[in-house]
Amino acid sequence: MIKRAVSDATEEISVSQVVDPIPQEGHQAPSDDFRPGAKGWLARAAAGVPLAALVLLFPLTQLDFVLTKYTRGITYAIIALSLNVLIGYTGQISLGHQAFVGIGAFTSAYMVSVAGQEFPIAVLSAMAVGAVQALILGLVALRVRGLYFALLTLAYGLLAEASLFKIPALTGGAAGQPAPKPPGFDTSHRYYYLCLALLGVVLWVDHRMMATKGGRALLALRENPRVASTFGINVKAFTLFAFAVSGVFAGLGGALYAHNESQVTSVLFNFQLALLFILMTVVGGLRSRTGVVIGGVFFALIGYLIEEIPHLPVIGTVLKFLVGILGWLFVDTLGLPELRIEVAELVIGPILLLLTLTQFPGGIGQQLRPFIQWFAGRPFDIHDRGAKEVQITDVRA
Amino acid sequence: MPKLGDLPRGAVGGASTIIVVLLLIISGNSSALVNGLVFGSFYGLVALGLVLIYKSSGVFNFAQGEFGTVAVYTLWILLERGVPYLLAILAGIVAAIAFGLLTERLVIRPLFDAPRVILLVATAGVALLAIGLEFWIGGALLRQVRPISGELGRISPFGVNVSDQQLILIAALLILGGILAYFFNRTNLGLAIIGASQEPTATELVGISVKRLSSFTWVLAALLGAVAGILSVPIGGSFGPGYLTVGSSGALIPGFTAAVLGGMTSMPGAFVGGAIVGVAESFALRQSALAFIPGPDKVMIFLILLLVLALRPQGLLGKSA
Amino acid sequence: MSVLETRSCSIRFGGVQAATEISIAVGEWEIVGIIGPNGAGKTTTFNIITGFYTPNEGRVYFKGHDITELSVHERSALGMGRTFQNVGMVKGSTVMENLKTAQHLRAEYATIAGMLGIPRTMRTEAELAERSELVLDLLDLRRLANEQVAGLPYGELKRVELAVALATDPDILLLDEPTSGMGPEESEELGDTLLELRKRFGLSIAMIEHHVPMVVRVCDYVYCLSFGQLLAEGPPDYVRNHPEVITAYLGADSEAS
Repeated sequence: MIKRAVSDATEEISVSQVVDPIPQEGHQAPSDDFRPGAKGWLARAAAGVPLAALVLLFPLTQLDFVLTKYTRGITYAIIALSLNVLIGYTGQISLGHQAFVGIGAFTSAYMVSVAGQEFPIAVLSAMAVGAVQALILGLVALRVRGLYFALLTLAYGLLAEASLFKIPALTGGAAGQPAPKPPGFDTSHRYYYLCLALLGVVLWVDHRMMATKGGRALLALRENPRVASTFGINVKAFTLFAFAVSGVFAGLGGALYAHNESQVTSVLFNFQLALLFILMTVVGGLRSRTGVVIGGVFFALIGYLIEEIPHLPVIGTVLKFLVGILGWLFVDTLGLPELRIEVAELVIGPILLLLTLTQFPGGIGQQLRPFIQWFAGRPFDIHDRGAKEVQITDVRA
Repeated sequence: MPKLGDLPRGAVGGASTIIVVLLLIISGNSSALVNGLVFGSFYGLVALGLVLIYKSSGVFNFAQGEFGTVAVYTLWILLERGVPYLLAILAGIVAAIAFGLLTERLVIRPLFDAPRVILLVATAGVALLAIGLEFWIGGALLRQVRPISGELGRISPFGVNVSDQQLILIAALLILGGILAYFFNRTNLGLAIIGASQEPTATELVGISVKRLSSFTWVLAALLGAVAGILSVPIGGSFGPGYLTVGSSGALIPGFTAAVLGGMTSMPGAFVGGAIVGVAESFALRQSALAFIPGPDKVMIFLILLLVLALRPQGLLGKSA
Repeated sequence: MSVLETRSCSIRFGGVQAATEISIAVGEWEIVGIIGPNGAGKTTTFNIITGFYTPNEGRVYFKGHDITELSVHERSALGMGRTFQNVGMVKGSTVMENLKTAQHLRAEYATIAGMLGIPRTMRTEAELAERSELVLDLLDLRRLANEQVAGLPYGELKRVELAVALATDPDILLLDEPTSGMGPEESEELGDTLLELRKRFGLSIAMIEHHVPMVVRVCDYVYCLSFGQLLAEGPPDYVRNHPEVITAYLGADSEAS
C-alpha cells in the first residue's frame, strides 16, 4: 500500500517540503531539523572535556582501594542498566535482581577458580547463565502478571539467597569463591579501564536497541500489549527477549563485580541488595541511560562520598557545620544515638527513593535531561522534562 | 475434569484444610503441626494486614512487616526504661499506627493514581527507611524482649508443649479476625471501606470521605502488624532491624504467600493460608529426607507460591478475576 | 470473493452470551458499516475478527484462509489494521515513533542485528522514517511528527491513530468508532478521507459507527447488531429504515435523522 503511496504522492511530497511547517500557537514542536552549527559543536566538545577527564583521568590519581570503589560503581551502573531494561523499557518489576547478578558473579568466579577457564570464557558463561535464568523467569512472567509477578521475583530472590547461594560447590562455602582478575588487567587501574570499556559497550548496545525495532517493541508492549500485537509485535517473544537482554547485562555486571572484589561470598547477595538495585535504577531515572548510570555509580559510592565530602574545600565546611547543628539537635538534645555513616547510607537511600517516586518521578535522568539533550545536539531547553508520564492502564501493573 | 481454578471457594477452602490436618496427624509429625499452627497464626496476622490494604486499595504494602518492627522497637525501648509491659505494648501499637498514618499521608496519597507496582516499590522504600532508622536507634545487635507470661506447657496437644505466649498469639489472631469479620460485614464503616475500594467516586458522592477511609484502613493494618510483632517477638527469641521483613524471622514473604494462598481478597483466606503455610514450613524443616537441600523451608514456601499462581491464582477462597 | 468473513461466530463470557452466530462479510474494496446500540457486541465482533477473543463457535476467514486459530500479531502480519474505541497507540511515545513501531513487520532485519548496529539496519531505519513521513503527509499531519501522542487533542488523536493503522500496511482496516468525539465537519472530512484511501490503495474497510449520516454516505453495506445478534443487514438505506433497527435504537442516543 505504501509503495503506491510513494508513486501517487511524490509530487505532493515535494511541494510540502518547500514550505516551512507552521508552528502551532504557543508551542514549538521540537523540530528534528535543528542542527548545531560549528560553534555549537565546539561548545559541546568543550563542555565534554572536563567530564571525560573526570571519568578517564581522575581515577588514576586515586589509591587502589578507592579505585576499587569506583570500579564497583561501574559494575553497578551495568547492573542498573540491566534492571532498566526490565523495569524501564518493559514494565516488569524484578525484586529479585540480586539473584541474576549473584549467579553471574558465582558462575564467573567458578569458571576461573574451579574450572580453570580464561577470563573471557568465564564472563561469557556468566552472561549465558544470566540469560538462561532470566528467560526462565520470563516464561513465568508470561503467565503471571504485574503485582503477582513482582512478588514472585521477590520470592525467587530470597530463594536464591537462602538456598541456591548456599550450595558449597558453587559458592565456595563461607569463605566464598575466589575471583582473580584476568592476567593483563590485574591492577586496579587496568581493571577499571576494562570495566569502563565494557560499560561503553553496554551503553552502545542499549542505545542501538532502543533506536531499532526491538526497543520500540518493548516500549509498546510495556504500555499497551494489545495495541502492540496489532502492530505485528509478538508480545510473548519480545517479553522473553527483554528478560534475556536484562539477564545478559546482569550476568556481565555480576561477573565484573566478582572479579573486582577478588572474592565473592553469598552473604553479599541478600534482599537489601535487590532493593538497592531498584533504588539505583528508579532514583537514577527509568528509561534514561545517563540517569541510571549516575544512579548506579552514586549508590555504590554513597558511603565513600559521605566520608569524603567534609574534606572538600568550601562545601565540606558548610556541610560539617550543618551536620554539627543536626547532631546537636538530634544527638545531644533528644538523646538519639550518633548517626554513623553506614546508617546514614541506609536512611538517605530510601528517602531519595521516596522523594523520586512522589515528587520527581523521572529521577536524576529527568532533571538532567536538558543537558543530555544539549550534548546530543538538540537546542538547550531548561524546561524540557521529557515525555509526559503516561498512566499505564494495562493490566500489567 | 474441572480445572482447579474453577472450583467453588468454599469447597476448595474446606477440603484443603481438612486434607492438610489429616496428613499431618497421619504422618505422626505432631510437633510440626503444633509449631506450624503457632507460626501460622503469626503469618496469618501479617497476611490479614496485607489483605486488608490490598482489598481496599489494590496496594501491596511492603512495609507491613515494618509496622510490626517499629512497634517492637518501641516496646523494647520502653521496657528497658522500666515501663510496665502492658503500657509499653500500648505505646508500641500507637507508634506503629503513627508510622502507618505517616506512610499513608506522605507516600500513598500522592501516588494514589500511580500503577500499583510503583506503590509496591514505594512501600518497599518505606520499609527500607524503617530498617535504616532501626539500625540507627538500636544498632545492629540482636535484642531480646521477655514474654508477657513465661509459663510453658499449660496445655500440650499431641504431647507438644505450647507456651503461654504462643497461646496469646493464636488467641489474638482469632479475636482480631473475628472483630474484623464483624466489622467488614456488619458495620457501616466497614462496608464503606469495601465500597470505596470499588467505587471511590460514588463513595465521595454519598458524602463519605475516601481519604479518611484510606487513613483508617492503614491504621487498622498498622494495628495488625503491631500485634503480630509484639506478640511474636518473645517467641522467636531475639530481634534486630528488619525483624519482621527480612532474615530468618522475616514474616513478609510467608505472610504474603499465605495471603496469596488464601486469596488476596479474602480475609478468612488469610487464616487458612497462614495455617497451611506455617504447617508446611514446619514440616519441611523437620524432614530429614530433605536435609540435603539448603533452606528447605524457603524452598517450600516458594513452591507453594508457584503452585498457587500456576494452578489457582485467586487462591483458595478468593474470587476469581 | 470476500476479503474478510466471519461464519456464525458466537462467544460467551461467564454466563453472558456476548455474541450469537455473527456472520459478517467484507468484500474487496468494500466499506462495511457495523451499527447498533451500546453493548450490542460490535467491539466484541472486532475482537473476534482481530484475534483478541477466540469464539466458542464459528470460524473467521481472511483472504480465503481460516485464521480462527491465529494470534493477533499473526493476523496483523496477514494484513489487518485496527483502531480502538479508547484510541490505541503508544501514548508515551511520539507520533513518529508510533509510526515506526507500526511498521515493525517491515523492518526487515533481525532484532539482534539492530542492537549491534550493523549498517544495513541503520539504512532500513531511514527507510522506515521516510515511509512514516509519507503516511503523515497523506493525512496532512506532518507538523505533529515529533509530538508526544499523550498531549494531542482528541480530534487529532483519532487521525493520528488512523495514520498509524495505515502504517501497518493493511489490506483491511477495522475502525472502531473513528468519528467519536468529532463534530459534523470533521466527520465529513474523515468520510472523504476514507473514500479517498479506499480508492488509492484498494483498501477494504469495516467500520463501527454511531454517526448515521456518515454510515449512509460512506458505507456500501451495513450490519446492525443488537444484544449480540445480527438484527438486519443490507444497503445503508434499507437498514436505516428497517423497523427492528429503529426499535432497537429507541431510547438510545442515536442520531438517526
